[in-house]
Amino acid sequence: MCGGSDLAYNLGYGLSFSQSNMTLVVKRIKIGIAVWMTAVILAAFVLSAATKLPILEQTARNLYFHVPMWFTMMMAYFVSAYFAVQVLRTEDLVWDMKVVEATRIAMLFGVLGMLTGIVWSRFTWFLGTGKWWGSDPKQMMAAVQLLISGAYFVLRSALDNPRLRARISAVYTLFSVVSMIFLLYVLPRLTESLHPGTGGNPAFDKITDPTMRLVFYPAILGFFGIAWWLFDQRVRLARVEEDTEGFYIQ
Amino acid sequence: MPKKNMPHTTQTHSKLRYWFNGAYAVFEKDVRLELRSRYALNMLLMFIASTLFLVVVSLGNEVIGTRVQAALVWVILLFGSVIGLGRGFVSEVDQGTVLLLQLHTRGSMVYAGKLAFNIVLLFLLNVLALGAFLLLMNISVENLWQLALVLFLGTLGLSGTTTLLAAMIARTRNSGPLLAVLAFPLLIPLLMSVVAATNTILLNGGWERIQETCVTLVAFAGSVISASVLLFDYVWRE
Repeated sequence: MCGGSDLAYNLGYGLSFSQSNMTLVVKRIKIGIAVWMTAVILAAFVLSAATKLPILEQTARNLYFHVPMWFTMMMAYFVSAYFAVQVLRTEDLVWDMKVVEATRIAMLFGVLGMLTGIVWSRFTWFLGTGKWWGSDPKQMMAAVQLLISGAYFVLRSALDNPRLRARISAVYTLFSVVSMIFLLYVLPRLTESLHPGTGGNPAFDKITDPTMRLVFYPAILGFFGIAWWLFDQRVRLARVEEDTEGFYIQ
Repeated sequence: MPKKNMPHTTQTHSKLRYWFNGAYAVFEKDVRLELRSRYALNMLLMFIASTLFLVVVSLGNEVIGTRVQAALVWVILLFGSVIGLGRGFVSEVDQGTVLLLQLHTRGSMVYAGKLAFNIVLLFLLNVLALGAFLLLMNISVENLWQLALVLFLGTLGLSGTTTLLAAMIARTRNSGPLLAVLAFPLLIPLLMSVVAATNTILLNGGWERIQETCVTLVAFAGSVISASVLLFDYVWRE
């Protein structure tokens, strides 16, 4: 047997073994997420969603989708800020890839949360007024977050050198966190909110019954899981692209 | 004072002075260049004058509320400052003086000098713009010093935010309108507080209601500037 091919065989075997072992675990987690989310969606539509509030009625089921989407957006945004710190610390472009994908996921869930929120508010808060947009603090914050993500991608497209692009866009992400924290502080003082738990509105657990919470908390976990799934796939795709094309596009 | 403490104190003192001298040199250079060409000053004056005139013309004889007045003037000031301050670092790149600055000064000195220049330039322009706006819209304000305070604190936050972003866009290709795209989402908390405060002043709302906003503005400027100091080196060094 030729020594060279033996080595290559061993190396290949070792790599594929550890890789397949890891992939198997990841795959099982992903199947778990799929089953979990299916159960959550079924429960969201099958279980009773009796609220005592008159206009809300059956639309209360949107709670299981709209609110976890916001949570996922904020989570992805702060995770991207963490990755941005890692970019500045290590100057490793793998982290940059992760900032991009986390920001993309924050944007995706932001848009989804905004769409579900706008439709929900149109037929509850603004019933009979024909309004689609009322400058609610949480709505504004989500809009600002989307603007920041958009600006992040515009900034990236204006930079050519990958290392510089990684560094400068990471600085922008971190700088935007400062502004977001201020927005969290300033907004409730200047505008009134219709969301529960703010501005004299009854808190969340006062208007939902225990059955709803039974679906709501698992839904949050499920959405986090989906976000992680998407993130993992996007990062792996980006790595494959880097291997085949020789460079990483955006 | 014991003698053995002397070298230490003089050393820290001279380090501080060294830093301050460097920052002042950058500031002075920018002032001199500006006075020589008057590009940013003239352009901003013209921008603000023509925008104000546009607003006056399009409003006609319509009487608008204080909230709309405050919103209009601050949107004009925001656009003006973003257009004017975007050149700060781009001009260094154009003139090929970046390397010189990098060799002779530390990043923090450059940042401090540029920030000081931006604050002075912007405050001057904002005072002129706000004065012209009040004159053209026939608004009389009783508490002028309150308005000046809000204007100054707003300028502080505005230049604190745009100075770092201007350094960032100097590293990009065709960096024209990019600064506005980057800065506006970050300036939203500033804009909201500043418009609310201006509205209160125009309505003669009293000092108590403005006080809280002023504290918010000071905190905003403080945190934005400290974050910039921490992050500036990553943008500035090669």
